[in-house]
Amino acid sequence: MKVSHNELKGLCRKVFEGMGFEEGDAGDAADMVAWMQGYRLGGLEALNRGLNYLLNEDSEVPPDVLYQDGDLAVLDGHGQSVLRSSSLAVELGFAKARARGLAVVKIRHCHNRQLIMGYLSRLAGRGMNVTAFWRNAHAPLTEQVVCFRSNSTVPEIRVYAVQEVPEETEPNDAITLVLTNHTGLMPAMRSDYQYDMIAKHSESDLLECRKQTLAQGIDVDDQVWARLKELSARILVESSDASRGGAGAGTTDND
Amino acid sequence: MRENSINPAGGLHLRPAGQVMQLERLGSLHASRLSFVRTLVRQMARQRWQISCTRFDLDAQGHGTAVYRLQTPNGRYHGVFFSQPLEDSARSDRVIAEAWDVTFGVVEGELNDELLDQMAANLPLQEAGRQDPRVLVLSRANKSLRNFAGFVDALAEGRQPEPAWLTRVGYLYRTTAVYGNGKFGIADYARLQGGRDFSRPFSVQMFAVYLLRHFSIEQVEHIARARSPENAVAMNTTLRRYLGIGNSTGLGMAPFLINHPQLIQQWILSRESALARVLDQVPTEADRWRLIELTRRAMQHLSQTVTEDRAQQERNRETVASLPEVLNWLETVPLDTDLWQQLTAWAERTLQLETQELVNTLLMELYPAVVEPFEDQMSADEKVELVPDMPLVRLKQLIDTHYDWALEYDFSTREACYWFWYRSIEKEEPRLGVRHEEPGAEKEMLLAIAPRVQRAHDAICDYLADYPRALVVEFLMQQPRHKEIVRRIQAMAETPYGEIRANLWHRDLKPMHLLRAKLSFFGAGRFDPKSDRWVRMTLFQGAPLVEELNAEPANLADFDDWSFPLEPQAIDVRQSTVGEAPE
Repeated sequence: MKVSHNELKGLCRKVFEGMGFEEGDAGDAADMVAWMQGYRLGGLEALNRGLNYLLNEDSEVPPDVLYQDGDLAVLDGHGQSVLRSSSLAVELGFAKARARGLAVVKIRHCHNRQLIMGYLSRLAGRGMNVTAFWRNAHAPLTEQVVCFRSNSTVPEIRVYAVQEVPEETEPNDAITLVLTNHTGLMPAMRSDYQYDMIAKHSESDLLECRKQTLAQGIDVDDQVWARLKELSARILVESSDASRGGAGAGTTDND
Repeated sequence: MRENSINPAGGLHLRPAGQVMQLERLGSLHASRLSFVRTLVRQMARQRWQISCTRFDLDAQGHGTAVYRLQTPNGRYHGVFFSQPLEDSARSDRVIAEAWDVTFGVVEGELNDELLDQMAANLPLQEAGRQDPRVLVLSRANKSLRNFAGFVDALAEGRQPEPAWLTRVGYLYRTTAVYGNGKFGIADYARLQGGRDFSRPFSVQMFAVYLLRHFSIEQVEHIARARSPENAVAMNTTLRRYLGIGNSTGLGMAPFLINHPQLIQQWILSRESALARVLDQVPTEADRWRLIELTRRAMQHLSQTVTEDRAQQERNRETVASLPEVLNWLETVPLDTDLWQQLTAWAERTLQLETQELVNTLLMELYPAVVEPFEDQMSADEKVELVPDMPLVRLKQLIDTHYDWALEYDFSTREACYWFWYRSIEKEEPRLGVRHEEPGAEKEMLLAIAPRVQRAHDAICDYLADYPRALVVEFLMQQPRHKEIVRRIQAMAETPYGEIRANLWHRDLKPMHLLRAKLSFFGAGRFDPKSDRWVRMTLFQGAPLVEELNAEPANLADFDDWSFPLEPQAIDVRQSTVGEAPE
């Protein structure tokens, strides 16, 4: 089925509120999902993959700062979804980059990493160059780079498989962010190392996608939509005669 | 003020937020030149919009399909109406209704059979249907039974309906929701923002309502003709003009006002800036007499406004009773260069809020060239972003300076925390419940800003005691629950308006003020509260007709002069004009 961006964002917000997200986090998470889906980057699929995980995670554990100095921070996301845990970690990097010109933030142990792109887009819109990098530690070993120029809310994205796999096999569930005021880091696939390109999204391709979804609506899976609708009902209050009175009107017309 | 925001005031003396943003004053606003219905009518006339009927397949009872085409210099649109039989018992103006007399929408571009079929299957279902992204507005309306039947009877019998019927209830149809911005699959507002026709807030919704008014006239004439082809007459033009469209509105408007502070700030700032410029104008004798004429018209309009609500009756009565004083003042005070400033200062000292705001509204009628540039400044780029590197002590200063009103409330009493706002499982209708008595408080909508500001302020003070040099982001890493309110404070603190200054939990809260504030910007008149949280009102009463628009009016000032409409006098109720079918 087709839905609008506003409709998708509104439903996701209610879903996250129903899961117990704080109001600010619910809005941010909804933005992240709708942003990805609006660019046809599979936001809802990513959300659906992590939905059971989200429903079961402990909401009371905020990310911890393991180390920080003026321009570097390492945080522990405690395995939570980036939907719940990443926004303030990213904002910490933004504050450091504003103060020092460049900042590096590493968020260890986070889940649903794809979804962080929507929040990074907002930072770029506020004038920050943002590059995010993460690796998946399963075969084949893949790397993903997401790069936003300052003041552009649309990224360049590359996903590729690395042929020369390193010996260390420790699970890698971190995201590394590089934030700079005046230096843009963009993908440049010119290494001598061998790789297989899995996905390549240019700014112009993504802009065209957004134009199309704005004109034609956003495709969503009916079953996923139905599940989200069901979850969103958690924020609603049962109706009664007394509560109908709480809306303040009669039930029939008399004019 | 943020870099990308608009400051149309340009150094003018704006009224302080402490005065303007008091809820009771906002609930005393009247429709003005900057209201969206007025702006739309001016835009249609300036740009020579043309509206034509391309399909009118209604049976003798008026049921069927009608399609109207809108051609602007920039594009083409279609208004599609489905009229169906409805049991009287199913006719409700609540959002929880499931069937309506008429369902309708406005479509961008051409209307092919496939799209029309899709709309025929889904528009009548409203919220339960899935709408096409080419649909810009989705709405529905119910008949005013008394008026509709009376109008059909009169026209069919070859006489004009009584104008007094429209004074009592100013419409044949009353809408119960006019959906835009992506609801149920229709186009996002972002689609319209880049365009040249409907980029202003709510303009496409207002256009849909304007088309419904035209349809209501054509439909009622059609039914009269079908009933009595020999005797039926068309509705008198003056009476047509006096016919508006009703709207029923409840608490659903309140969350919008609270959740769009940047947009509300822009609406109020534009209105206040226009008013400030008007007050700086040096009046001529002609200006003075124009204001006297407008005041007399408004007085008569309000004396003709019918409502069963005692509080609104009293407010109307007080306003009507005090307007002779305004007229006396205007007729006797010397024509000084600062006459308008003298007038508003005198009004603030001596008149009730609703009359004060009426005087302001009327003053804005005098200077179209001064006021109208602000109609393009009613939109806002709504982005509420964190400023993580702000020193926390600076944030505390912002709260102390700009949210002092929120810190003054005492939330320790039962009265101060009496209501909670929530969404019902019935179509997510917003409702008010009594805290500690009714279920659902744990699912409360966070509309009350003041308690959240207080809680954040307390937490900030505690944190600063330990970390006086902390940044906002460092505080939030420890206390993330305050993120949303901190962002809002940072975004709104240095804008002149935007936060409505009220305790939305308080037992004495009058939700009606919230509704009326928003409706005044829409351009609503004839406020007829049905309770303290439910109101009926009228849009486009007195507005120029489609045929007047299509005739490309030469005098735009005259075309635009339709505020505070009066009951037509001297209509020959036996007049017989041969009714003609729509083209």
